[in-house]
Amino acid sequence: MNAARTAPATASDLGPSCGPEEHCITCGDQAIPMRVLGVEQPGGLAICRELSDVLQMTGIAGETVDVGLLADVSAGDVVLVHAGTALARLGPEEVEA
Amino acid sequence: MKFVDEFRDAGLGRVLAGEILTTVEPGRHYKIMEVCGGHTHSIYKYGVDDLLPSNVELVHGPGCPVCVIPMGRVDDGIAIAHEPNVIFACFGDMLRVPGSNGTLLEAKARGADVRMVYSPLDALRIAKQNPDRDVVFFAIGFETTAPSTALTLKRARAEGVENFFCMCNHVTIVPPLRALLDSPDLRLDGFIGPGHVSTVVGARPFHFICADYERPVVIAGFEPLDLLQAIHMILRQLSDGRCEVENQYTRVVPYEGNLRALEIMAEVFELRPHFEWRGLGLISQSALKLSDAYADLDAELRYAVPGVRVADPKACQCGEVLKGVIKPWECKVFGSACTPEHAIGTCMVSPEGACAAYYNYGRFAREREVV
Repeated sequence: MNAARTAPATASDLGPSCGPEEHCITCGDQAIPMRVLGVEQPGGLAICRELSDVLQMTGIAGETVDVGLLADVSAGDVVLVHAGTALARLGPEEVEA
Repeated sequence: MKFVDEFRDAGLGRVLAGEILTTVEPGRHYKIMEVCGGHTHSIYKYGVDDLLPSNVELVHGPGCPVCVIPMGRVDDGIAIAHEPNVIFACFGDMLRVPGSNGTLLEAKARGADVRMVYSPLDALRIAKQNPDRDVVFFAIGFETTAPSTALTLKRARAEGVENFFCMCNHVTIVPPLRALLDSPDLRLDGFIGPGHVSTVVGARPFHFICADYERPVVIAGFEPLDLLQAIHMILRQLSDGRCEVENQYTRVVPYEGNLRALEIMAEVFELRPHFEWRGLGLISQSALKLSDAYADLDAELRYAVPGVRVADPKACQCGEVLKGVIKPWECKVFGSACTPEHAIGTCMVSPEGACAAYYNYGRFAREREVV
């Protein structure tokens, strides 16, 4: 399981956990699609959650993501996140179940 | 989830594998480099190479941000981590990269306050929670990660956080590719371009590969069908005698990249005159440091660092693996002295690294072949 995906916002408190079988997405070139739950500051920070159904069932509130690279992000948008920063917005045709 | 699931469809994968088979010319050997470590990981994880004809060879490139960090930079980071008032923050894989005197994880065991973070924002949060300590973020990564660091440095300044600093090890993707293409010991037929780097830089920076070296490039996503389709597109270009930069990953990568990210990077960073890459040596203008406007946040200026070049262990052949000259299993210490649990070289540390990816996913298939 991907450690980064299940980590709470205060992951640093848990100590290192990226083992050889796990995949540290922040060390690599990986990005994951997340849905914007709410924007804290326009052009700044937003609370986002992964699209994974499993994570939605866990009730994790979401992670803080910097959306400063994208214009006009609003709740409901799906963005591609790497290292806590949204790099691109995904069109609705890409994410519909 | 449409974004992921349909790109793992086994039936479509078989169709693509069949089309690849009909596109290759019998008797011709194709060498295609996947530049990005994320692609290397996906290829081994999903067994993409098993679906290819025997004359299509995938060569693993230098695009693993952890693997290319030389030992001297790890030593510099450890020196800063041991400063008495410092909290040293870095990504998980980086903690296990050996320097000449151990890893950051071992420095933590010796008393340094080293903490793993998932983003620069996490490091900034630690700085706000510890206003009487200096928090140094060890920044690594290609252009995918550099905007995140740049945004966070801007945020630190805007919010007046005065105890947040950065040891910048960000690298850029084009100079090592040019170095590889100039290398006499490697003949490549085409490139699978890095998907998420291209989200930031766009497709334009890769045109030199076609213009100067006459090799096709296809920017690709990270799911197995993305990779198979990209390989098919490269083979089609070779078959048609074309040489272009094509974008397989259009659902994410715009041709121009993310202009806002490029602007912010230009403001916060400037090119280093040269930077040492593990295995590739010194490459001119291939890495970033903080610009003059952000020099007061530069940890390398705030703290004395050894700054010494350290040769890799003699047994380690990461350099040849990073250049694609040898396969992971051809290294003398692969799987014996060097394993993910006790890595000698960086390629075995990060799951993005070719050796670790092969160790975790590919070695059993090879053992079956041998038997």
